[in-house]
Amino acid sequence: MIKKDAWSKNEKIFLGLLIPILLLFFCFNTLPLLKGFYYGLTNFRGYGNYDFVGLRNFADLFHDVRVGKSYLFTFKYAIVMTIAVNLISLVLALGLNSEIKGKNTLRGVYFVPNILGGLVVGYIFSFIFTYILPAIGAATGIEFLSNSLLGSTRWAWVAIVIVGAWQGIAMNTIIYISGLQTVPEDVYEAGMLDGSTGWRKFKDITLPLIMPFVTINLVLCMKNAMMVFDQIMALTKGGPSQSTESISYLIYNNGMSGGQFGFQSANAFVFFIVIVAISLFQMTVLGSKEEQL
Amino acid sequence: MAEIILNHIKKVYPNIEGKKKKGEPEKKSNLLVTEEGVLAVQDFNLHIKDKEFIVLVGPSGCGKSTTLRMVAGLEGISGGDLMIDGKKVNDVEPKDRDIAMVFQNYALYPHMTVRGNMEYPLKLQKMAPEEMRQRVEEAAEILGITQYLERKPKALSGGQRQRVAIGRAIVRNPKVLLMDEPLSNLDAKLRNQMRAEIIKLRQKIDATFIYVTHDQTEAMTLGDRIVIMKDGVVMQIGTPQEVFDHPANTFVAGFIGMPQMNIFDAELLEKNGTYSVKLADLEIELSPEKQQRLKANEVKAQSITLGIRPEHITLAKKAEKSLKGTIEVSEMMGSAIHLHATAYGKDTIMIIQTMNLTEEEKNSISIGKEIHFAFSGNMIHVFGKDGANLEA
Repeated sequence: MIKKDAWSKNEKIFLGLLIPILLLFFCFNTLPLLKGFYYGLTNFRGYGNYDFVGLRNFADLFHDVRVGKSYLFTFKYAIVMTIAVNLISLVLALGLNSEIKGKNTLRGVYFVPNILGGLVVGYIFSFIFTYILPAIGAATGIEFLSNSLLGSTRWAWVAIVIVGAWQGIAMNTIIYISGLQTVPEDVYEAGMLDGSTGWRKFKDITLPLIMPFVTINLVLCMKNAMMVFDQIMALTKGGPSQSTESISYLIYNNGMSGGQFGFQSANAFVFFIVIVAISLFQMTVLGSKEEQL
Repeated sequence: MAEIILNHIKKVYPNIEGKKKKGEPEKKSNLLVTEEGVLAVQDFNLHIKDKEFIVLVGPSGCGKSTTLRMVAGLEGISGGDLMIDGKKVNDVEPKDRDIAMVFQNYALYPHMTVRGNMEYPLKLQKMAPEEMRQRVEEAAEILGITQYLERKPKALSGGQRQRVAIGRAIVRNPKVLLMDEPLSNLDAKLRNQMRAEIIKLRQKIDATFIYVTHDQTEAMTLGDRIVIMKDGVVMQIGTPQEVFDHPANTFVAGFIGMPQMNIFDAELLEKNGTYSVKLADLEIELSPEKQQRLKANEVKAQSITLGIRPEHITLAKKAEKSLKGTIEVSEMMGSAIHLHATAYGKDTIMIIQTMNLTEEEKNSISIGKEIHFAFSGNMIHVFGKDGANLEA
């Protein structure tokens, strides 16, 4: 039998490593969440006195047109973004994982967007959308380009998808590349002899074997897209006419400067639960498709 | 029918890496490097008959796996012709060569069940489900894996996985079955068992086999013919008996046979057309058969390398007409004793059958003692100083 003492020594080390992180996590994650919930129960405007209003804020969320609109926009954005980013980054990863010259340099180049700040990228693209593209449109006579995408209630969200995707693809591509490298070469060779090439090879061998990486990417990408903020701040500030107002941006904007601190705290709390629920759902559904190798 | 002809097959790995890594020490390899690049396989010629079992054997890096992979189509062929059934297939896709392969690491599809793995090649051939099921079950029956059909590979042991890999290869009824060190990952007991099963399997299926191994026991027991390779060059091709009895050079002599053949420096003498070898003070006349071969080759008297297998050495009672050595290690194997001795500056191994020994003789074998031994002229192998067999 293992002595109790030996265990407790190990446990001390484990706890010593765990507790600081747990404390930090509690202070900067759990505590704000609980405080947010607390403010969600009040009519606090961000300043002055406030009263408890029970669950009224939470009930009002479901009737508020602006909140509803922001949810609609955020989901539309997140779904399109997740699909686009994952498709493109998987294709890129397949390319960057094949035997091509300058593979390592290219991998570096494709990763650059990830190390740039969201706001910086947003402002650069804002410049491109506002000045460069319309100029090109005017010069070539393409009418679609001659007006800024950002000024159109119909197309502004597409501009945000483009910027978000441009940045998001970098990380996903790296994750897919590392996923592709876990597939043993001899399994592909066995496939080659069995007659599995091209699309069949991808569908029957590659995709099932990188399923764990697909899960990670879908969950991370969806989560990031749901919380879109920087791009909107830099590109549209929720406009034109609130057509690109994401949930995060609405919470920030109306919570901080709109005198709705209590109401938006409730919104934020519900939003947190929505994201957790979506992530858990994705992980269960996709997890069942994963192979434990 | 699957006759395979390898005609002057060559594999060159272009020398791009050499330029890049100038500062790094040279890799320890004796492969020939030309302007084109590293010659992994040089001038490989072999005519494999239908349903023959060919074993490629040699130490690591000798080019045996590369040769196999060229036959499979997983490696490009740098020069020469590869013919299967009279058709040149150098540039034919692997899937169109009608070959199957068993890999050292099994290379099973981890996300498919055993049945899925075995069905997959048939599925790609668009075979009817009923026939597919029947074929898979037949193959599973032969290999004794019927009860595992619905399991995933991760739930199987190494031996079972290799059976599945063999199953996946044979369901297709391929013309050629390639095996790349299929038993290397198994433990010794399982390896012996699987080796016997491969011999049995061979009776049951109509395919030409090419089998790669570094294990000379596997080569000897499985092959109809053995191809011994070293540094990308074929050393000898022959039946197990041929390569054992008449090794083409000292490399083959040392590689085939366990324990290794003993090598001595000796002199070949010729007196009135009769050859004998002189080792230390002992002169041994060669057998008539060997005399004839040497004569046919017009071999002159010269310094030679003499080879004698451990099992062909006998203990001698008297000091005269014998060689002497000092016992270093004595390994009791039960029916035989493996004696390691130092004789004339060389490590010498001899296998002494215990049933032929008296108690007294047995007791006299102890470490540090001097022993006398001898061998007869028909068991001697005569190699030139360059290593080539002078009888060949």
